[in-house]
Amino acid sequence: MSAVSSVKAPLSTRFGNRLRGVSRLSPTATAGVIIILLFGVLALFSDLFMTHDPISSYPERILQSPSAEHWFGTDGNGMDIFSRVIYGAKFGFGIAIPAVIISVLIGVPVGLIAGYRGGLLDEVLMRIFDGLRVFPSIILALAVVAATGQSLLNVVLVLGFLDSPVFARLVRAEVLALRSSIFVESAVAAGNPTWRILFLHLLPNSIQGAMAQTAVRAAWAVRISATLAFLGVGIQAPTPEWGAMIRQGAEFMVTGQWWVAIFPGIALIFLVFGLNLFGDGIQDILDPRRRVSK
Amino acid sequence: MSLLSVSDLQTHFIFHDIDNQLREARALNKVNLTLDAGQILGIVGETGAGKSLTAQSICGLLRPPARIVGGSVLFDGQELLSLPEDELNAIRGADIAMVVQNPRSSLDPLTRIGEQLVRIHQTHSGGPLDISRQKAMEMMQAVGIPDPEGRFTAWPHELSGGMAQRVLIAMALMNEPKLLIADEPTTGLDVTVQAQILDLLKELVARFDMASMIITHDLGIVAHYCDQVAVMFAGEIIEQGTVRDVFLKPAHPYTQQLLAATPERLDLGSENQLGGQPPDLFNLPPGCLSQDRCPRATDICRTDPPMVQVAGGHTARCHFAKPASKSASKSAKPRRSKQNG
Repeated sequence: MSAVSSVKAPLSTRFGNRLRGVSRLSPTATAGVIIILLFGVLALFSDLFMTHDPISSYPERILQSPSAEHWFGTDGNGMDIFSRVIYGAKFGFGIAIPAVIISVLIGVPVGLIAGYRGGLLDEVLMRIFDGLRVFPSIILALAVVAATGQSLLNVVLVLGFLDSPVFARLVRAEVLALRSSIFVESAVAAGNPTWRILFLHLLPNSIQGAMAQTAVRAAWAVRISATLAFLGVGIQAPTPEWGAMIRQGAEFMVTGQWWVAIFPGIALIFLVFGLNLFGDGIQDILDPRRRVSK
Repeated sequence: MSLLSVSDLQTHFIFHDIDNQLREARALNKVNLTLDAGQILGIVGETGAGKSLTAQSICGLLRPPARIVGGSVLFDGQELLSLPEDELNAIRGADIAMVVQNPRSSLDPLTRIGEQLVRIHQTHSGGPLDISRQKAMEMMQAVGIPDPEGRFTAWPHELSGGMAQRVLIAMALMNEPKLLIADEPTTGLDVTVQAQILDLLKELVARFDMASMIITHDLGIVAHYCDQVAVMFAGEIIEQGTVRDVFLKPAHPYTQQLLAATPERLDLGSENQLGGQPPDLFNLPPGCLSQDRCPRATDICRTDPPMVQVAGGHTARCHFAKPASKSASKSAKPRRSKQNG
């Protein structure tokens, strides 16, 4: 360890460690990162890539097959599918990222408190979360969104809430092992109030597994939000959301206009695939047993 | 008035067993001890005698199913057992500091050494960060950590066991405690480091005018480093006094057996070994708890033994202990120098 005198100095080293961690990613995980970055660029700078306005229709060009003018063809409203697929990346990230953040913000503190306190509180919190997991998430999401009103915000909130048990369980399991560890007992003996023990000592030591799950859970959120849109719940038709576009395209599949559903479908598959590859890659790094020697 | 005075402290483990039957293990049975400022008290006893549990009970570190069912712990004139958690937190780590065994696992693995030292000072004393940082450096120097500047940013896993124990001691000293409880501070350290750590502890107790309680299995450590000694058996302090009194004139048969069994005196044979088992804590016998293992036990041992004042400040809980008499003054005269350690 180098002789650095300031307490602040570690930050740069910490960041260095993170970078070294990323460089350990397997080739498949790297592919995942590239896919995610690609979609991220598309979402952030969609204006640069779109050839047409994603929601203005050209009534004279309904259901045209892919051409030089409309690369992915046009849909039943005469809208440019290429531009709509690119714009749809905004919805993919715009739903997945806030949903995962909400899941973490709900799940992690609940897991910390339930695991540390144990007893009745633990039982009650975990049984509530088990109750959430009992229902197939898609049906529960359908019901809740249908009941609370069809808006993008509601979809995000519902997905975030429905997925929070995953993070609570992961953190709780770690805390159960840590709470009787000597350093936590020492922290109690040193006169730390409970909140300090939870957030200064237990949180950093138990968050790893939960963080590794974020990418996989983001993939889940992308998938479920698209499914909801496909079923006509949440985001509605003219909005360039992939699930809604696939739903619209499904009608034309039988009549031979395959391009309407196929292109948003491919985009969806790739984003989910990329997130899953990346998520697996992180888990491989964190779990030495899954690490393959090169 | 003593700095710490524990009287009739009773800690039981109360829980429902697998058949849903209420069970109660009487782990601490009326522990009595006193400790004055500037003194080092050694607590000895076999595994399961309740040494660590006594320390944990004093600091309010018990977790269910362990529960304090009676007694009092007076620290600096304050009753600790009835203090609410937040007031107890203000004392723990500040006025009462603890050093435990397994120093490396006592440190948060994801926080640098310096940060941990600074934090404990901030928690209790507050004030500007610079002051805490400076204090941390001073304490690291005081406990003999070479290159404290460099160690400040070290991770716990980068330290050796001895170094980590020094860090823990530095942490314990950050808020200038009045009482330092060291629970087997040298278990798991090699003998050279053990001696260094204990020498350091003794020196620091004198320098900062603290009181200290050292929990150990090792009679040699007690003989060498402590002023007072308390012998525990089955959750009871059966004898307490100055090291000289207790080691030279042990009044309780169990203490006598214990001292006779020290390895230095064991000439290959096993007659001196302490036989038997501690009593079943779920089902303690009436009267003296050591009756089953005591060579002198008679019918009278089925009744509660009295706390006998063997000499000034030397007490033993036994029917056969001789109360202080004219001959008691003899005990002040040293017959032999320390035989252990």
